[in-house]
Parts: sequence; structure tokens; C-alpha cells
Amino acid sequence: MAGAKPALSALRARIAALEAGTRTAPPVLPFGDPRIDGCFPAGGLQRGGWHEVGGSGLEEETGAAPAAFTALMLRPLAAKGAVVWVMRRADLHAPGLVGLGFPTGRLIQVRARDEAEVLSVLEDALATVGVAAAIGEAESPDLKAGRRLQLACERRGATGILLRRRPYGGPVGRVREVSGAAAQTRWRIAAAPSQPPPGQPGLGPPRWRVELERCRGGRPGAWILEQAEAVDGPHPFRLVSKLADHDVAAEPAPAPSVGFADSAPRGGAANAA
Amino acid sequence: MRFSPAVALDGLDGLFLDVEGVSHLWGGEAAMLDDLLARLERWGAPARGAIADTPGAAWALARYAPDRTIAPPGGQAPLLAPLPVAALRLDEAAQAQLPRLGLFQVGQLLALPRAQLARRFGLSAMMRIDQALGDAREALTFRRPATPWFERLAFFEPISALEDLERVTRDICALLCDRLEAEGQGARRFELVFHRLDGRDQPVRAGLSRPGRDAARIARLLKPKLGEVDPGFGIEIVTLWAADVEALSTAQPSLDADGGVSLEEGLAPLVDRLVNRLGEDRVWRADPHQSHVPERSVVRQAPLDPPSEDAWDPDRPRPTRLLRRPEAIEVTAKLPDDPPVQFRWRGKSRRVRLAEGPERIGQEWWRQAFDAIGPGKVRDYYRVEDETGERFWIFRAGLYGDGETVPKWWLHGLFG
Repeated sequence: MAGAKPALSALRARIAALEAGTRTAPPVLPFGDPRIDGCFPAGGLQRGGWHEVGGSGLEEETGAAPAAFTALMLRPLAAKGAVVWVMRRADLHAPGLVGLGFPTGRLIQVRARDEAEVLSVLEDALATVGVAAAIGEAESPDLKAGRRLQLACERRGATGILLRRRPYGGPVGRVREVSGAAAQTRWRIAAAPSQPPPGQPGLGPPRWRVELERCRGGRPGAWILEQAEAVDGPHPFRLVSKLADHDVAAEPAPAPSVGFADSAPRGGAANAA
Repeated sequence: MRFSPAVALDGLDGLFLDVEGVSHLWGGEAAMLDDLLARLERWGAPARGAIADTPGAAWALARYAPDRTIAPPGGQAPLLAPLPVAALRLDEAAQAQLPRLGLFQVGQLLALPRAQLARRFGLSAMMRIDQALGDAREALTFRRPATPWFERLAFFEPISALEDLERVTRDICALLCDRLEAEGQGARRFELVFHRLDGRDQPVRAGLSRPGRDAARIARLLKPKLGEVDPGFGIEIVTLWAADVEALSTAQPSLDADGGVSLEEGLAPLVDRLVNRLGEDRVWRADPHQSHVPERSVVRQAPLDPPSEDAWDPDRPRPTRLLRRPEAIEVTAKLPDDPPVQFRWRGKSRRVRLAEGPERIGQEWWRQAFDAIGPGKVRDYYRVEDETGERFWIFRAGLYGDGETVPKWWLHGLFG
């Protein structure tokens, strides 16, 4: 997307500078593969903002695959400071995170009583010195709460993740989708069949079907990612394959509406800022 | 302390309380004594009590007179007279000698001329008699509260408005924190008590994860809880008490930049805010614990405590979500000892594509009574992946062929 027209990219940079005000460009968390990083405006998952990660089907309730994916994605940040994980059910199992390479020595777990408390604790944590990332398990926040999260992230450059999770026994069906607007990106994570190395019994490294449904200033994408082995380099994921557009279109979120949802709230955010 | 600010220990089995001017709060001395003894009994320390003008007389009455005797002011002599001489706290030599002389009761002793008594039993005996009767003063070593970290503000007019409570909270925190700072100390627990006009106490507590003495911060932690304080007809006294006082190095000006602040210094206020708002059991860090049983392999630690030495075994894969209680699943297994080929969980049937295991986890017999151990307690864990790639941690409780009952299968966690 860059490189096509120099005038266009120059304009884009000027708009980005306007949107960011006097702040310097936030650092990013690259995935280490140009096919993924190219979807983001800054070449990686933007730090100093918050991102929405959700599951599908039963995962909306259990939130296991999104949690594992989030832990892996934030692994480089865990070395930079504390990570706060706010949830309503204390079923996060620290040894499992360690198994994904996520250090739990500075992981603070918080069990909140309700949705509002999750969001306020998340906001509090994101605005605190020494917190590199904060993860909150909640349903989608409304526009105002999302905006507050964004401001909290910008104060210290912390990265926020909202793990969308329906409470157990909650209404079945798709979760509210109103939020979107304030989040930098929105992801949908599902498990994907793993491929054990040939001739070896048992399970291969875990794989996820990762859909970047919405990305502010960037474009969506969908991939199959696998947890990277130590030999694959410092990045936590290995790209197995890129899903073709028709694979994504089979999902209930068609591409045009994604683009529309993307542009409208951006104007709103600029006004608010 | 509830009954009197002046309490003195008496040997191993006694307490002196100075209750002068206190009893009216309980509606009389008798009621107060009843209340005190009832409380002691409830705490598992049944006791006898007595009230008298002098410590000596009270000592004697509590031990040798009927329980809960109360001597009227100046009237201890007739009450003491029928008691045995041991009630006078005499030294051993005198106590051994008296019965030999036919003196068994205090009254007999009191009837004798003082000069003879003094010559025979020494001045100490005379002093004990005088102390019991109130002719000589007796100094008691009262126990002071263990901590000097205590501040008290009394008001000319009772206060009740929330803004006033906030203001006095700030004031009293500043008073105590100034003293803490002057002595290079910091405290971790603060108890603010509002004493109402009608004698009721309204305590408010706050805790810090690291010792501190920042008055503004402590006041901020206490402030949200002031709404719960019911001022009634007004509050006349406020006390603040600091506990867990530890030495704290001199203040370092906080640098409001990411680089200049140590991690803990930044996190401690956050942890304090969360703990005080949500409660201590809702904020934790998961630490390894030496145990094979998955449920026990994690202990909850205060987030800023020093990390433990143990570590989880990296070769044993563990799920990211562990169900608090394993959920029963229906399985189809080809062979008894094999992982299932299909199972049904939460109404959805799943075909197992790949499986790994078993990892056998026995119960920790050293934690249990001996009878509770049996093959039914052994769990064989499998890591299975279904056709969509979802991964589950399931186990079979018990072994085939070890009893009449068929082992059951459970789902314990999700890998995601």
C-alpha cells in the first residue's frame, strides 16, 4: 500500500501527524512478517492504543484461543513491564501462559465484579507507570468507554487488549458490535488444526485462524498463524498461510461494511480530539 | 483496651484494669464487669473478676471472694476480713509462718497491732496490707499500646458532613505521616476510627502493598470509604492508627517519567488502589507451588511480594484456561487405555484428531488420610485436538480393571 504513489503516502503521513497532534509516532509491535505488518499503518501492532480480540462460537464464552493468542502477541511487551489481566472469572491458568513463553512473574491478575469494573480497572492500569500492557475480559465497551481507554493508553504508551468474552450463561448469539470505533484493531481468533512434524506422534505447535477484521488506517487481513519455535526468530508467530479473500468473505462480516465502519468513527475521533 | 486505656499485666494469669471514670459507659460497674467476663469467656478464657478501690483488694477479691464481687468505695476492709491470708500477696516466708501462728484469715491479721506485725513479718507484709486497704499507694506498670503510631483529633463541635470527614482525614493523615517521616518509618496498614457522640466506633481501613507515609495517597485510599461512615448525631473524635511500621529510606522525589521510576514504585500505588477497592483476594500474582495436582500447582501471592523460587515444569503442557471444577464428558474410546476418539462436551460432539498423553498424575497421598487413597484417585491426562483445531485437556479418573466402577472422563482445561 505504501510505495504506490509518493504523493498519497506523503498526504497520509501529514494526516497521521495531524491526528497524533504533537505526539511522536507510537512504537509498534511487529509480527516480523511483511504480509502481516503491511496491514498496519505503522508496520506493526500499534502500542499506545487498545485492541479488541474476540473469539467465535463457544470461544465467545471460554475465551481460550483469544487468550492464548493475546498472550503470545504481547509476549515481547511482558519483558518491558508489568502486565495486568482483568477478568470476571478467575480461570486463567498461569502455567499455561508460561508454556506459551509468556512470563508470569510480573503478571497481576485482577478479578472484577462486573463489566464496568473491568473497564475502570483496565483504564486505571493502562494509565499507570510501569504497566506495559493490560488485558481486560469484557463484552464490547460503548463508544465513550472505548475513548477513555484510548486516552489512558496514550498517557503512558501502554497497550490495551480487550478480550471480548460473554459471561457464562449470558445471552447466546453474537456479541454487541457497537464498540469497534475507538479500538485500533479488531481481531477474531479461532483455533486451527495443527500439523505435527511428519513422523512424530502427538500434537504440533498450536495454530490459530487469525482475522484482522478492522484496522484503523490500515486494511484487514486473515491468516493462519502458528506459534513459532525458538529457531524461527524472536517473533512469536510464524505465518502458515494467508487466507484468500473468499475465505474471509464466508464470515458474516463482508468487506465493504468493514471499510465503512472504519472510516466513519475516525472522523468522530478526530473531532473529539 | 475496650474497657480502659490503662491495663497492667499481673503475673501470668491476671490483668489489672484502671476503670476509674469509665464504668458509666456500660451503665455501672457491675454491668461492665459482666460484659468483660462474658467477652473473655467467649474468647475461650474464662476468668473471675472483682472491682475495688485498690489493686491489692481487687486482686484478693477476684481470687478468694465470690466471683464478681464489687467493693463499695472505702469498704474493702470488711470484705477482705473473711478471706485467707494468701489473699494479701505476702511473700512466701510470711505466708508459711502465718498458719503456724494460728492466723488463717485476713481479719485476724488486721486485728493485731501494727508494730508487732511489722517486727515479725517484715515491712513488706505491712506494705501489702496497706496497699490492700488503700493506706499505701501501689504503682502498676500499665501496658501502653504497642505502637506509638497513633494520632487523635478531638473536635470542639461534633462533625458529620462528608466534606468535613474528608478534611479531617487529610489532616490526621498529615499529622501521622509527618511523624513517620521524621523517624524514617513507613506503615502498611492504617485504621481510621470515627468515634461518635453515642460511643459507637466507625472504623475505616486502608492498606498499602509497600510501607508508605505519603499522606495524600493514604487519604485518597481512605476517601472512597468515608461514604460508608454513618456519623449519627456527630463525630467528636477521630483516631488514626498505623500498623506494620517498618523502616523506610528517606523520601525520594517521585520522577514522573517512565525511565526514572522503578517498576515497583510505579506499580505499588496501582496495586494499592485495586486492593483497597476490590479487596485483597481479588488482586494477585500466580506463583508456582510444589504440587503435581493441577489445581494446587498455583498459589496466589500479593502482586509485589518477592517471587518464589519454584518454577513450573516447562515439559508438562498446561492449558491457558483451567476450569475450576472439571466437567464430565461422554467419551467413545476404542481401547480402555487409549485416549477417546470422540467426546461430547457442553452438548457438542467432537471428533478427536490428534491426542497426546497420558500424563499420569497421582493424588498426593501425603496430604490425605490413608483410607482416601486408591486407584480411583489417579488421573490420566490427555491433550487432545478436535477437527477444528480446538485443544482440550481431558483426564480419566481411575484405572480400568481395578474395581467394579467404570472410570469416568472429565474435561479440565482449554488450551485455546
